[in-house]
Amino acid sequence: MTAAIETAGLSKSYGPTHAVAGLDLVVEPGQVFAFLGPNGAGKTTTIRMLLALQRPDSGRAAVLGLDPGRDSTAIHRRIGYLPGDLALYPRMTGRQHISWYARARGLGGLSEARALAERFDAVLDRPARELSTGNRQKIGLVMAFMSQPELLILDEPTSGLDPLMRSEFARLAREVVAQGTTVFWSSHELDEVQRLADRVAIIKQGRLLTTQTIESLRESAPLTVQARFTRPIASDLFAGLDGVSVTSCDGTAVQLEVTGAIGPVLGVIAGQDPVDVTSRHADLDELFLAYYREPATPESSHAR
Amino acid sequence: MHADIARLDITNRRRSLIGYCLGMAVYALVVVAMYPAFKTSTSLDKLIQSDSTAAALLGVTGRISSSGGWLNGNIYANFFPLIMLLLTIGYGAACLAGQDEDGTLSLVAALPVRRAIIVAQKAVAMAAQAALLAVTVAVLVVIGRSFQLDTTVANVASTSAAVFLMGLNFGLITMAAGALTGRRGAAVGAGTALAAASYLVSSLAPAVPWIQPARYASLFYWSVGNSQINQGVSPSDYAVLIITGLCALACAILAFRRLDLH
Repeated sequence: MTAAIETAGLSKSYGPTHAVAGLDLVVEPGQVFAFLGPNGAGKTTTIRMLLALQRPDSGRAAVLGLDPGRDSTAIHRRIGYLPGDLALYPRMTGRQHISWYARARGLGGLSEARALAERFDAVLDRPARELSTGNRQKIGLVMAFMSQPELLILDEPTSGLDPLMRSEFARLAREVVAQGTTVFWSSHELDEVQRLADRVAIIKQGRLLTTQTIESLRESAPLTVQARFTRPIASDLFAGLDGVSVTSCDGTAVQLEVTGAIGPVLGVIAGQDPVDVTSRHADLDELFLAYYREPATPESSHAR
Repeated sequence: MHADIARLDITNRRRSLIGYCLGMAVYALVVVAMYPAFKTSTSLDKLIQSDSTAAALLGVTGRISSSGGWLNGNIYANFFPLIMLLLTIGYGAACLAGQDEDGTLSLVAALPVRRAIIVAQKAVAMAAQAALLAVTVAVLVVIGRSFQLDTTVANVASTSAAVFLMGLNFGLITMAAGALTGRRGAAVGAGTALAAASYLVSSLAPAVPWIQPARYASLFYWSVGNSQINQGVSPSDYAVLIITGLCALACAILAFRRLDLH
C-alpha cells in the first residue's frame, strides 16, 4: 500500500540555519500521525515542502505517492490543509471564506461545511478581523475538513481552541480516520498527542529523533526506581551498573533512572536493607522533554 | 477554478478601487469643465512656450490652450498615469509578496491550481482594476467634448488604453519583483523607481538633447509621451506596450514558480 507521506533525506536550509536536515519519514495511510517538536524544530518547514509551498534543497518527498515538485495540483486536490498561524482576509466573514474556498476547490455543495461549522460552533457572519484566534482557527478547520480529503495536513490545529473544541477536534479526527483518512498533525501539545495519535515522530533542530507508536514509546520509557533505606547509602553504589543513572540521592533515599536490566539494580538495593522500593515507567511528558533536552542526533531505526 | 482567485482580490480591493475611480472621475470632470475658461488664454501659451523645460515636465507639446495640450498637460501626461501607477504598483506588490508576508497566500497556493494560473489570475485582477480606471477617465474626457474639447473619441480611447497598458506593465514588473524577492517593500521600490525613471526620461527628452535617445526605453514615451492624444496610439506603441507586458508576466510566472512561500 502506498504511504500517505514518505520522505527520504529531505533537507532545507535558510542561510546557515538547517531548518530540516535529512528527514526520513513514513506515514502509513489511515492513521493519526503526530509530528511533534518544540517551536522552530522544522515541523512547519517540512509541511510546506510536502505541499510544494517550499522547495527542498535536497532529498525527496512523496505525498499520496505523488511528487510535490511535479504533481502539486493533484496533491492539493486530494488533501485538506490547515496552515500554522492561519491568516484570513480581514474584511471577509467566515461564511464568505468557506463559500469562496469551496468554489475555488470545485466542491459541489456546502452541506459538509455547514455541518462542520455547526459542530465547531463557528462564528460565520462576522469579519475575520473581529474574530478571536480560536474562532479563526475553527474557520480554518472547517476549510481543511470540508472537502473530505484522503489526507489532512494540519499545522498546530488546536492552537487557540478551548478544551471543549479540542475534544471535538479529537473526535472528528478519529471519525475521519475511521473512514480511511490519514491525519498528519504537527503539534507541541503532549497531552493531545498521547490521547489521539497512533504514531508519533519527534523532530528537533530539523532532525528526526524517533518514530514510534505511542505504546512502544511508553514501553521504551525508562523506569524510575525510588528506594528508601534504614541507613545512609553512598551515591556511587550503582556506578558499576549499565543503564542506571542516579537522579537524586538524599542520604537514606535514592531515585534512579533505569534503561537497562532491572534485576541487578534490585540486587544492589536488596543488599542495603531497604525499607521501601517503588518503580514506574516515566511519563511520556518526561520522555518527550528528555528528547527535547538531548542534543539532536538522527535516529537509527524508522520503525513503522 | 474559474476566476475565483481574481474575483477574490477584486472583491477585497473594491473599496480602494471605487475611491481611485471616483477621485479620478471628479478630477477629470473638473479639468474638462475648466477648458472653456483657458481655451483662449494666449498668455498661458506664451508662458509655457517661454520655458520649454517646464512645458516638457508638464507633458505639454504645442499649445496648452489646444484640446490636446490641455488634456496632456492636466491629465494624460501626469495625473492619470500617476493614479494608474498607484493602483497597479500597489496591487502588484500586494498580490504575491504582500499576501505572502501577511500569510493569506498560503491558502491560495494550497488550492489545486498551478502557480502559473495563480499569477495569471492576479494579472487578470490587475487588468480589471486598471481597465475600470481607464474607462472612467476616457468616458469623462469624452463627456468633456461638450465643454468645447475637440479631441477625437478614437484618440481619447486609444490614449486611455495606452495608459492602461503602461500601468499594467509597471504593475506586472512590480509583481515580478515581488515574486522574485518575496518582499513587498522591494517590489514597491523596484516598480516605483522604474516608473519614476521612465517618467523623467520621457518628459525631459524633448528639452534635454542627451536624454533623447533614451526615450525609447521609457514606457511613458510609448503611451503618452509621443503626442498620442493628438495623433492616436500607433501600432508600434501598442506592440511595445503589449510585448513588454507579456515579458513581465512571463518573468512573474517564472519567479513565482521558484518562490518559497511562508
